[in-house]
Amino acid sequence: MSSSSLSSSWSVTRTIWTIFLIITGVAFLILIYPYIKMTVIMLVISWIISIVLNPAVDYLESIGAKRSLAIFLVMLSILLILVGIVALMLPAVMRAIDAISAKMQSDFLKDVTVQMEQIFEKNFNNAGLARDLINKLVEIGGNLLGNMGSLLKNASSFVAFLGIIPFVTFFLIKDRRKIYHNMIAQIPNKYFEMTLNVLYKVGDQVTKYIQGQALDALIVGLLSALGLLIINLVFNHPIPYFFFIGLIAGIANLIPYLGPVVGAIPAIVMTILNAPPNVGTVILWIVVVFVLVQVIDNNIVSPLVVSKSVNMHPITVVIAVIIGGNIGGVVGMLVAVPVWGIIKVTVKEVYWGLQHYKLR
Amino acid sequence: MANPIWDYFFKKPSAAKESILQKLKDVPIFSDLNEKELLEVEKIVHRRKYQKGEPVFRMGDPGLGMYIIIEGNVDIVEESADEGQKQLANLQEGAFFGDLALLDEAPRSASAIAKTDCDIIGFFRPDLLDLLYRKPQIGIKILFALAQVVGERLRKTNDALSELQRKCGEKKNE
Repeated sequence: MSSSSLSSSWSVTRTIWTIFLIITGVAFLILIYPYIKMTVIMLVISWIISIVLNPAVDYLESIGAKRSLAIFLVMLSILLILVGIVALMLPAVMRAIDAISAKMQSDFLKDVTVQMEQIFEKNFNNAGLARDLINKLVEIGGNLLGNMGSLLKNASSFVAFLGIIPFVTFFLIKDRRKIYHNMIAQIPNKYFEMTLNVLYKVGDQVTKYIQGQALDALIVGLLSALGLLIINLVFNHPIPYFFFIGLIAGIANLIPYLGPVVGAIPAIVMTILNAPPNVGTVILWIVVVFVLVQVIDNNIVSPLVVSKSVNMHPITVVIAVIIGGNIGGVVGMLVAVPVWGIIKVTVKEVYWGLQHYKLR
Repeated sequence: MANPIWDYFFKKPSAAKESILQKLKDVPIFSDLNEKELLEVEKIVHRRKYQKGEPVFRMGDPGLGMYIIIEGNVDIVEESADEGQKQLANLQEGAFFGDLALLDEAPRSASAIAKTDCDIIGFFRPDLLDLLYRKPQIGIKILFALAQVVGERLRKTNDALSELQRKCGEKKNE
């Protein structure tokens, strides 16, 4: 047998083995997924946080701080801010939950429904709409409280989860290059430059996208809080915990289309529970504030801070959010679009690499 | 007893690392860096082994960065469909090539093929840009040295061009 036919039969055998190993690997991952689900979610969250914090670490490093110290300082600052927010908000949130429970048990809901029906009858000639709206809000509230209960039931694993994330994030920021180098070292020479170039491009675009989304969420959160503050000043404080509600709106804004609606619900619920005399007008203004924030976000903030490289069709976004929600609940919904963006950019850049490199 | 966390933060460079540092120091674009700065560069370079006849990169591929030969021999060749491969240079241990790719993604003007089994270090543009942001004092030294290398080559090209023009002029006058 000639050497060329020997080498071609070896190449076919190798291809068959490669395909077999890939299929076995994927099947194995699907099989163990239920057991590693939390670890995967934790790694994805840590990785996203590491990307968000990296510019601050790089900046401190550029002015002379050691990388480990820079990471420690940035994470400590974030931790102190979070602890501050929780310390300020937790008593208020507990009081709010107590108030909600107390009001749920009283005739409060019936009173609010009657009041809302009157307002809707007077303004829109449709009292049924008010009833439907209140029923929907009560249903959503019930679901949220139910989720909180299950979250508290798993409190120990939740605390462990929260404790491990900063630890993993620290090493992901510190050893980003080392992890990357070790991965690249396994790539055969034939694909080395192409893989490296594609990874750099994907990394660059994904980093810009995630950092942009985080900045966008922060700005939307602050704008929402500012809008609610103005309503509070004008209407004699009808919305309690407006800053906290603004922050929730900012985080919810990470979920496209659904986020802005989810962000407005807590503000409306809190207003209804607080039952100010002009509740209808206040709710109308809350809706105006959230619509205005969306207009500002979509036309000014988002085009400036969010990278255009991960542009996605609305249908793709909705499908990604639904799949993300099925896999990982609320966290899955939050990370669905970035993860889909990563897949999209990767496919695009791999295609570019295959077209431009002479693979021999 | 050794503590893995302590070792992790305070480990010292190994002998192999020291030898890489010396090789890097010999490359003109890193010659202005001190040992501490070279250690930063060492963290971001990629070390690769190539077998005899294996291409490091091919003519026409998008440029990504430069390579430094630690051990072995590399041929720089021009490839064409009609004439096959034409050798332009043979580079030995310590030589570097592909440095213009640190400046842009223009296609490689020639192929680099390992003539013997080689041990090579790769230093790439995105890592240089990252270094410029994180450690501007090191990045600026490297860029300045790179500009000097490119400037020196431009001067030599100008001299060669003037010489050629002079010879053409003489030929015309004959």
